[in-house]
Amino acid sequence: MTVELAVGNVSRAFGGVYAVRDVSLTVPAGELRAVIGPNGAGKSTLFALIGGQLAVDAGTVALDGVRVERRPAHRRGIGVVFQAARVFHGMTVRENVMVGAHAITRAGFLAAALRLPRHHRDERRIREQAMVCLDRTGLADWADRPAEELPLGRQRSLQLARALCGEPRLLLLDEPASGLRAGERELLSDLITRLRAEGLTMLLVEHDVAFVMRLADRITVLDLGRVIADGTPAEVRANPKVQTAYLGVRPDEPHLHARGVAE
Amino acid sequence: MNRWTIGAVAAVTLALPPLLPERHLATFVLLLLAATVTVGVSLLMGYAGQVSLGQASFYAIGAYAAALPAVHGVPTLLGLALAPVAAAVAAVLLGAPLLRLRGHHLAFATLAVQLILLSLLAQADWAGGAIGLQGVPRLTIVGVELRDVGYAYTAWLVLAAALLIARNVVDSRPGRALRAAATSETAAAASGVAVGRHRLAVFTLSAAMAGLAGGVYAFYLGYLSPGSFPVLLSIEFVVMAVVGGLGTIAGPVVGATVIVLLVQLLNTLGTLPGMPDYAPSVLSYAVYAVLLIVCVLYLPRGLAPALRLRRTADPNA
Repeated sequence: MTVELAVGNVSRAFGGVYAVRDVSLTVPAGELRAVIGPNGAGKSTLFALIGGQLAVDAGTVALDGVRVERRPAHRRGIGVVFQAARVFHGMTVRENVMVGAHAITRAGFLAAALRLPRHHRDERRIREQAMVCLDRTGLADWADRPAEELPLGRQRSLQLARALCGEPRLLLLDEPASGLRAGERELLSDLITRLRAEGLTMLLVEHDVAFVMRLADRITVLDLGRVIADGTPAEVRANPKVQTAYLGVRPDEPHLHARGVAE
Repeated sequence: MNRWTIGAVAAVTLALPPLLPERHLATFVLLLLAATVTVGVSLLMGYAGQVSLGQASFYAIGAYAAALPAVHGVPTLLGLALAPVAAAVAAVLLGAPLLRLRGHHLAFATLAVQLILLSLLAQADWAGGAIGLQGVPRLTIVGVELRDVGYAYTAWLVLAAALLIARNVVDSRPGRALRAAATSETAAAASGVAVGRHRLAVFTLSAAMAGLAGGVYAFYLGYLSPGSFPVLLSIEFVVMAVVGGLGTIAGPVVGATVIVLLVQLLNTLGTLPGMPDYAPSVLSYAVYAVLLIVCVLYLPRGLAPALRLRRTADPNA
């Protein structure tokens, strides 16, 4: 079910300024890859280029060798957890998660309007799938509450439940830990660890270095739209270029490293 | 809304037509037809987050599509079946380019479509031109020519079908997808929703509802002209949807009832002896403006949800 993600020489400019320039990275199936970098490094742009929220100017995005960079977001089979809480208003938590199953079901307007058998079949499948995802993300008790009433941390879990409900081949997480309290952060990292153990390929864009150092298999470091380092957490931590770019300090000022990269 | 309320409303409205004098029966039929169009508008605005200020165009297209063949001898029932289809086809053709627009832009574009349609109709001699299409035969169902009470029941069935379809769609895979896209197109698309296609489908569905209502209208009145479908009518549908309560199934019915009754009342008031000639039209325009403002200020969610809240808040009621 899960796939390899290959990004090849992807570029995207805004008004002549490159946000992402010639970025390549390959995430093998089942790997949890983190992308880190200082503000303005191009992390979120790269995320949107892979997810299909933005179009590439040049380069390729491939899932298991199949190029998807020209496909609209809804046809990529990629699950997405956005940084801004994008839960659907005026719908319950359960209904939000049910929307996630859209990609794996087919019933259309006619089937729905006339209550054809296909509608009932899909509806049953969607409900069951949603219940499983609600349970996994600890949201079952909130299922019938309006989604917008959830606290921020729960809204992030809700997005995750929604993404999982579509049985994604790749899961993108944009700063999932930002704005969460310590307890919520713990729950989130547990869940990500479990998904990783199940073999789901994940790409995690994160500002919080300590958070990704613990979770990620490998880390790609961006700065000013380019890849400046790529390796295991230990390799990245030791890389002087990363220390310079990420913390804005020179390697000859080692006392400042303690802030994040060196834990 | 519970089964008992629905059953009671259905029973009362079904018992009403034979009891109403002819003048009020006409109001009743037009109310049901307006409510049908408003069901579509409410689906579009309340659930899909799209505004159409030209819904009367589809009402007109349905009316002409039903009346024109009938005038040339085609069975009236076939004409009636053609009405929603013609409106739906027009919606697909118009919607494909128009639905790229959002919010105010879409509202103005649909308004422009209606103005264009009205001026085309006024010049189309084959459709009666500005003078209108006269002598539309009455609707004949299995050999029986409908009389006024018959139209009331036909309109009732049409509205019931529209309500049932709206309810079914809202609580379904495509319905949830639409509601999701109304909050965030990006997040809906990331969940696999083809937002554009879904919006076009609901636009088409709402047009089909307006078209079917228009078809009944044509046979009921027996006369059509571009003047029967003014821009004010489109605005009326939007006001009905907002006053009744967007994002509710009962809202369109409540909104249409309130507006139609108020306009009737003010019309009676405006034509009292001693009132100036312009009183009826000024008063009926005023009712839209005042109701819309009052509603947005004090009942932003509309009448239907407000009634429901009152009931749940007061355990003795």
